[in-house]
Amino acid sequence: MSLKKITYNEAIAEIEEVLEKIENEELDVDELAEKVKRVSILLKICKDKLFSTNEQVEQILKEMEE
Amino acid sequence: MEQKLTLFELNERVKDTLNEAFPVSVWVVAEISELKENRNGHCYLELVEKRGEEIVARARATIWSYTYRIIKSYFESTTRQRLSCDIKVLVKALVEFHPLYGFSLNIKDIDPAYTLGDMLIYRREIIERLKSEGVFEMNKELALPTVPQNIAIISSKTAAGYQDFINQLEMNQRGFKFYPVLFEAYMQGSTAAPSMISALEKIFNCSDFFDAVAIIRGGGATADLSSFDNYSLAYHVAQFPLPVITGIGHEKDDTIIDMVAHTRLKTPTAVAAFFIDGAERFYDTLLTHQETLIRSCGEILGEKKLQLEKNTDNLQRRVKDFVSVKNNQLLKTGNLLQQRVNRYAFQKKYELNNIGYNLHSKLSVWNMRQVSLLNKYNEVMTITVKEKMAGKEIKIGQLRERLKGNFARVLKKEQERINGFENTIRLLDPVNVLKRGYTLTLKEGKIIKSVSQVEKEEIIETHFSDGKVKSRIINK
Repeated sequence: MSLKKITYNEAIAEIEEVLEKIENEELDVDELAEKVKRVSILLKICKDKLFSTNEQVEQILKEMEE
Repeated sequence: MEQKLTLFELNERVKDTLNEAFPVSVWVVAEISELKENRNGHCYLELVEKRGEEIVARARATIWSYTYRIIKSYFESTTRQRLSCDIKVLVKALVEFHPLYGFSLNIKDIDPAYTLGDMLIYRREIIERLKSEGVFEMNKELALPTVPQNIAIISSKTAAGYQDFINQLEMNQRGFKFYPVLFEAYMQGSTAAPSMISALEKIFNCSDFFDAVAIIRGGGATADLSSFDNYSLAYHVAQFPLPVITGIGHEKDDTIIDMVAHTRLKTPTAVAAFFIDGAERFYDTLLTHQETLIRSCGEILGEKKLQLEKNTDNLQRRVKDFVSVKNNQLLKTGNLLQQRVNRYAFQKKYELNNIGYNLHSKLSVWNMRQVSLLNKYNEVMTITVKEKMAGKEIKIGQLRERLKGNFARVLKKEQERINGFENTIRLLDPVNVLKRGYTLTLKEGKIIKSVSQVEKEEIIETHFSDGKVKSRIINK
């Protein structure tokens, strides 16, 4: 369902799409729960990317210095 | 014979002639092909003039240290470029001819504007060339990632701006994470351009990893920016597959590198701020979306809740009404039923009574009739019975008489029989038998009826009618 490798752009695009749907009242209550969960996950992924150390990146950097 | 001169004399004459021809200094345009700074601070140059690639004129030149100090700083502050080889200059020079050292120019002044102008022309040419090759806009057309985090940095570890830049990124207020990687290069001097190109090539090898390239350098008094007008470097930057951000610390016009780069900023600090700002803006967007989400959902849920409550109330109310209506109906029907049943019961009771009376009267009549009939029968029966009884009585009398007679006869017969039996019994009575001379023989208390039952010498008992004797068997 959600890949770790999603880019900022893709995440934002998806979030904005969902928000639009919500504002246009295109979702029923069940879908709402699901989409909100998805958006929360996306928001978290973006925040993590912004603030937390990315282990993979650190690893690559280390390899680069060798 | 022509006049003979010594070399010295010749040179002296030349010197004088030259001095006459050039009594004061002249402004000369030339290209610096060599430039050396002496320990004492004097500057020794070689000036040339080229037509195409061909050198058509050459001269030595000197700038004495006192003058050189002044000229140098003036030149560099104006043109932002070092006095170096391969640049064209306009200098004010005194023509000198020394008998020993020959021809040379003593430079007294310089007009940097010429060089600037020349530089401008040079730069414009490069720009035209890049444009005509279609690469000038290429880097600007690249899309900058939403939040560049993996940044390749071209700078010098010891450069003024670099450490501050790194600190700025690491210590940013929000705590955004950046991953800067340094690709070292010389940021000034003649080796700068090639070393930066080589750094770019290294970055190219792992360009997948990075989001952007930053070329940074602290500004300084000796801001030698000539390397940043280098055609080859500009070409590489323009064509580079990652967006290039420049912050090479100068206030004046853009260098060519600045022009072809994706984004041009003034200082390394500005570049760091640029990245942090990008992250900040994105983060704000995230937060805004988050709030919108929460708010919208809240609204929708609120709405739905209200709807639900309304519907629930409606339902309750309607059900209540419905039940009440049905209740009333039920009562009404109940009453109706009750009435009808009562009426019916009354009706039937009345009918029943009527029937009862009818029945009663009819029965009475029938009863009387039956009674009289019965009486009649009774009479008839009594008479008949009486007659019959009389008859029977006579018959009974007759029978009684017969019975009596029979009974006496039978009695007599039986009496005779009994007498007979009495006689027989009297005869058969063992006492009477014994009286007639028979005896009873017993052995050991038992009656023996046969000879075989006794043996010689045994004791037997013989009972007579008037007593008993014991005997022993002598012979059989």
